[in-house]
Amino acid sequence: MLIKSALTTLLFIVATTAGAALRIGEPAPEFTGIDTRGNSHTLSDFRGTPVILEWTNHDCPYVRKHYNSGNMQQQQRTATEKGAVWLSIISSAPGKQGHVTPTQADALTLQRKAAPSAVILDENGDIGRLYGAKTTPHMYIIDAEGKLAYMGGIDSIASSNPADISKATQYVLPALTQVMDGKPVASGVTRPYGCSVKY
Amino acid sequence: MTHSENLLSKLPALLLLLFTMSGVAPASDSARTEQVRISLLPEHAVAVPGTTLWMGLHFELIPHWHVYWRNPGDSGEAPRVDWQLPDEWQAGDIQWPTPQRIPVGPLVNYGYEGSVTLLVPVTVPAGQRAGKPVGIAADVSWLVCREECIPQDARLEITLPVMSAGADPVTTNSFDTARAQWPVAAPGDAGYLREPDALTLRVDATGWADAPISSLWFAANDWGPIAPSRLQAWRFDGDVLLATLPVGEAPLASGAMLDGLLVVSEAESDATLTRGFKISATPLGSAPIPANEPRVTLALAFGLALLGGLLLNLMPCVLPVLSIKVLALVQHAGDRSAQHGLVFGAGVLASMLALAGLLIALRAGGASLGWGFQLQEPWVVIALLYLMLALGLNLSGVFSIGAGLAGVGQTLTEQKGLRGTFATGVLAVVVATPCTAPFMGTALGFALARPPLETLLVFTALGVGLALPVILLGIWPRWIGLLPAPGPWMERLRNALAFPLYATAAWLLWVLSQQVGPSGLGIALAGSVLLAFGLWWLGQPLRHRAMRHVLAGTLIVASLALMVAAGHNTPNPSVANAAETWSRERVAALQQDNRAVLVNFTAAWCITCKVNEQVALTTGAVRQALDERGVAYLKGDWTLRDPAITQELQRYGRSGVPLYLLYPRGQGSPEVLPQLLTEGLVLDALSRIDKI
Repeated sequence: MLIKSALTTLLFIVATTAGAALRIGEPAPEFTGIDTRGNSHTLSDFRGTPVILEWTNHDCPYVRKHYNSGNMQQQQRTATEKGAVWLSIISSAPGKQGHVTPTQADALTLQRKAAPSAVILDENGDIGRLYGAKTTPHMYIIDAEGKLAYMGGIDSIASSNPADISKATQYVLPALTQVMDGKPVASGVTRPYGCSVKY
Repeated sequence: MTHSENLLSKLPALLLLLFTMSGVAPASDSARTEQVRISLLPEHAVAVPGTTLWMGLHFELIPHWHVYWRNPGDSGEAPRVDWQLPDEWQAGDIQWPTPQRIPVGPLVNYGYEGSVTLLVPVTVPAGQRAGKPVGIAADVSWLVCREECIPQDARLEITLPVMSAGADPVTTNSFDTARAQWPVAAPGDAGYLREPDALTLRVDATGWADAPISSLWFAANDWGPIAPSRLQAWRFDGDVLLATLPVGEAPLASGAMLDGLLVVSEAESDATLTRGFKISATPLGSAPIPANEPRVTLALAFGLALLGGLLLNLMPCVLPVLSIKVLALVQHAGDRSAQHGLVFGAGVLASMLALAGLLIALRAGGASLGWGFQLQEPWVVIALLYLMLALGLNLSGVFSIGAGLAGVGQTLTEQKGLRGTFATGVLAVVVATPCTAPFMGTALGFALARPPLETLLVFTALGVGLALPVILLGIWPRWIGLLPAPGPWMERLRNALAFPLYATAAWLLWVLSQQVGPSGLGIALAGSVLLAFGLWWLGQPLRHRAMRHVLAGTLIVASLALMVAAGHNTPNPSVANAAETWSRERVAALQQDNRAVLVNFTAAWCITCKVNEQVALTTGAVRQALDERGVAYLKGDWTLRDPAITQELQRYGRSGVPLYLLYPRGQGSPEVLPQLLTEGLVLDALSRIDKI
């Protein structure tokens, strides 16, 4: 009897032993971040809604490509109108490129007419490291059940040239549509491109 | 010249205009930005129809800035060139020199600092008319980064005279330096093996370097299969190079080739010579590679397991149970003792093989497990604690009539029939699980890394070793006759044997205290008291049998409920600890800071680990040596489950702790220290790090 219960426990241990790296289809790492208005956002609070994470750094030429062209703002509006939560995350350390105060971040949002649900300041880089965010932009989609559905680039052409946006295959919005339709994402992992995150 | 969308889109039109207007463009073969000076160089001063003309894009960078290799690593972008060539001329691919590994914070890029020349072969068609000069233009775009990044581009143009075929072209530039940086063919065929979170690259060859290798790393040709920023380990097993490459975000498809570069540096007397080798590795399947130290063969593992099993008999958790069985043999077995001995052996073997089978099945399912892993789960620790306590109370005479759940061990061990003897064998394996005898570690590490048949063989040896004393006593019961005749001494011995069990229980409580913290420990202790109370009640000669069972049963169920509650308790935040916490990234970072690193993988429930720490790792002399040599001391605590540590243990052919690694300064794979440490041995190892 004791052996039986010990073996059951062993099976339980194995069932809960997950890999360390991020994997599509597995629960996305839980985090709590503070936004520019001092509000706290915890990933699991959004259960029931897909969440998009966008790593950003307003001085990075690759980020500028997508903001100056209006592409990023357009995607933010489309996604939030569909009912998704869009979190822009800034993981630049103090003193490094892209690091901003809450006021500066809000000013940037206003000036660029950006429309994220919130801008999270992650200056110690905890959330960035948790997700292995490497570039700006680096995009992640978490489905309504809290599982990771997509990670990678914003589109298929790794360049800083805005002229490439229209030629590129879009990754984020099509993936979001698939997630919201309950379908698997066609390409769940793509190469993120851009500047390094300034940890 | 920074990037401009409008200019770029109009460039082809502008170019066309320039060329149609005149044969000589007022263009430049070089351009300059704040960070970069770039020039377009032909290898020869003339183009000869029907030949290949090599063109060079030469970058010179100001200090600390870099441009990228074809796979830029975690971030960045490789330079691109768009050629504007005369009709039917063709440009080939960029020939990439061996890149440098450039850490940027926690990320890693592949690229070039200082200067680099990217060579491109251009085919001059045989039909090209000689005489009239031709214009060649290159629209080059590149990203230059220090930590911040700036995309830049330039148009570079040259004009070349064309000389008739057969002429000897005049060389204008020495491209030898650039070609010397090209990667060369690897000295042997490469293959790779799949591991849980890594690929192990295997090249059976010598001739990587003339001097001792100071660093070695692999970069995949494209983004995805290999994570640039995760630490790679390498070692030579004889002439076989084995490099462990943690996988990246887009792992290779099954059966795909792994293409990339192996970059090997050797420390010359005063400079470092670095060479790149082209690797195209074929998949070799997923069998783990054999452990390198010490070279364990199946026969040796079998012998060690047998010896380990024998020694398990003496461990405080097993000894009392078996002693009781021997006493039972004295009293009851008589002439059937041989049969009892063999049945006991069968019980031990059956449960050992069941355990091995379970481990094999779980491993086939992809889990990474090691011996002792079951103790990482607080429930299992509490269950074993209760078992030890119940057996101890039984030996102390608190209760003696076995009934219901808690009496299971006692009932079975004292049952007279062969069934009871078999159950004792099973119980012996269960109580043995928290104990690791010497010699077992190596054998089990081997067993868990081998094909199923060999795993089963090693576990069989362990079972045979554990069962052997009782089997032998059964076959030669005359040895039992050497014991005094049955009498009151047996009851005293029984009572005395309770104490090793209490000691085991106390130790399990200490382990538990590190897993669930003071409040969890309190709950488990309360559960223990309830259990003891229930068992005592069971042993009382009360008339109302049913009521006694109900009450005792209630108490025992309550204690089990507390077990679950205690198991759910969250661990205590780390206890004050002089050593830093281990992570692969931390080791890599320290090495890059030119620190040597000593890593201690340990667990609260690992007695060998604790002994080693006391006698060899925390002594004054060792601390002083660590300080003097600037060696960082990291601790990986495996008391609770930690997949990262399990993987690291597997890389070194271990299934459990302890494991001690001593990393050299800079780069390179660690020296694996023995499992049993002495102060002298650690000091010796520390004194070696600066002599290589």
